[in-house]
Amino acid sequence: MCGLCGLLGQVHWTDTSAHPAAFTDDRRRTFRAERARRVAVVNAALKPYRMKVSDFEATNYVLSTATGGRAIVDDVQAVWGKVDDFLGRPVDPLDPDWLEAIQATRDR
Amino acid sequence: MIPVNVVTGFLGSGKTTLLKEVLSRPEFSDTAVIVNEFGEVGLDHILLEEVSEGVLLLDSGCLCCTIRSDLQETIRELYDRAKRGEIPEFRRVVVETTGLADPTPVVSTIVAEPVISKHFRTGNIICTVEALAGTDTLARHPEAIKQVAVADRILVTKCDLADTSQIETLEDNVDKINPTAATSRGSGEGFDADALFALDLDDDVSRQEEVSRWLDAEVHDHDHEHDHHHDGIDHIEIGDTGSFVLRYDLPIDWTAFGVWLTALLHAHGERVLRVKGILNVAESDRPVVINGVQHVVHPPLHLRQWPTEDHTSRIVFITQGISEARIRNSLSLFLSAVAA
Repeated sequence: MCGLCGLLGQVHWTDTSAHPAAFTDDRRRTFRAERARRVAVVNAALKPYRMKVSDFEATNYVLSTATGGRAIVDDVQAVWGKVDDFLGRPVDPLDPDWLEAIQATRDR
Repeated sequence: MIPVNVVTGFLGSGKTTLLKEVLSRPEFSDTAVIVNEFGEVGLDHILLEEVSEGVLLLDSGCLCCTIRSDLQETIRELYDRAKRGEIPEFRRVVVETTGLADPTPVVSTIVAEPVISKHFRTGNIICTVEALAGTDTLARHPEAIKQVAVADRILVTKCDLADTSQIETLEDNVDKINPTAATSRGSGEGFDADALFALDLDDDVSRQEEVSRWLDAEVHDHDHEHDHHHDGIDHIEIGDTGSFVLRYDLPIDWTAFGVWLTALLHAHGERVLRVKGILNVAESDRPVVINGVQHVVHPPLHLRQWPTEDHTSRIVFITQGISEARIRNSLSLFLSAVAA
């Protein structure tokens, strides 16, 4: 992300804190808690590929691979693009093997 | 936020006729119009810009960030010139695509371009389909099917030249592709410009009606299944394009849903033409409205109240070659696997 986009504060549609009119309940996560939850969910999705993300200063995410690859991305949508670059193919939520793998990870 | 309407439709389907008539009205005089080419039917309008298609891929490199560079420059420049007083201020923008164009990059330009998205929002996508040749066009041209699939409003044009059965067959086929769009008829004049252009999800009252119509798709779904058994309507082959309504009974973890949908659209956005729906999410006491066109998802909105007593999450998908069972299975397994 360049300095100008950072200044303009691009928001992603998945961020509840950026859309307070739509997410009104007291159960809405705080900004930090939502990011932590997102990191946990993305990491569950990436576990079969031995990749993970971590929050960077509550502004970006850092994607890491088991072989030392690292990339900084703006939002969850960009995570998938970068994973695609590392893997050479997208993570496919319709892939039965992937669905089985993330379930197995949870059951373990 | 200034609404941007997209007017799409196959060659000769009456896009320019619609625009010419609507733009002549005083209430649309402060509309800026962007066309791909100056057509045979001349548009005489004070704020008319021509663009030639160019595509720019933003740094993140995914298809959702495909920006039409020509459009980007034109919209930015229009805004800048209006603010500097060089041209009159405008309160709406209409982009007319070419007959073979995919309207989706226009939408992604409005939503994903950092500067434009601060000042503009997408309004209705209006698709014109010609009553006489429309059924044939849909049968022969996948571009036309896609234009219908991504539209919010379908205008069946030249109805004065076609007989009732032709129009009804076309409407039936259009409804099979996109049961969520409001379909109306036109005959070259007297268009209901408010319903086509002005009334959209941005307005609280319209939003409630709009979402109720989307959810009617579920009823249509059943009707179509019923049709196949006994009627003799001249249905066209619309390839593997179809719609279904996905129901999810439990309150949805919005964060997990966002992760799943972004991954799905990254992998299959080319074949998920539209996603629209109403969600019962854990993070809100109001129903949350989602609305996406291929890789692009608009900011979530809320409804003041549920349209009916049924508080189940319902998501309408218009897809090409992806079955309801695969998507339902994926969402259900994913949400249970990552449940907090």
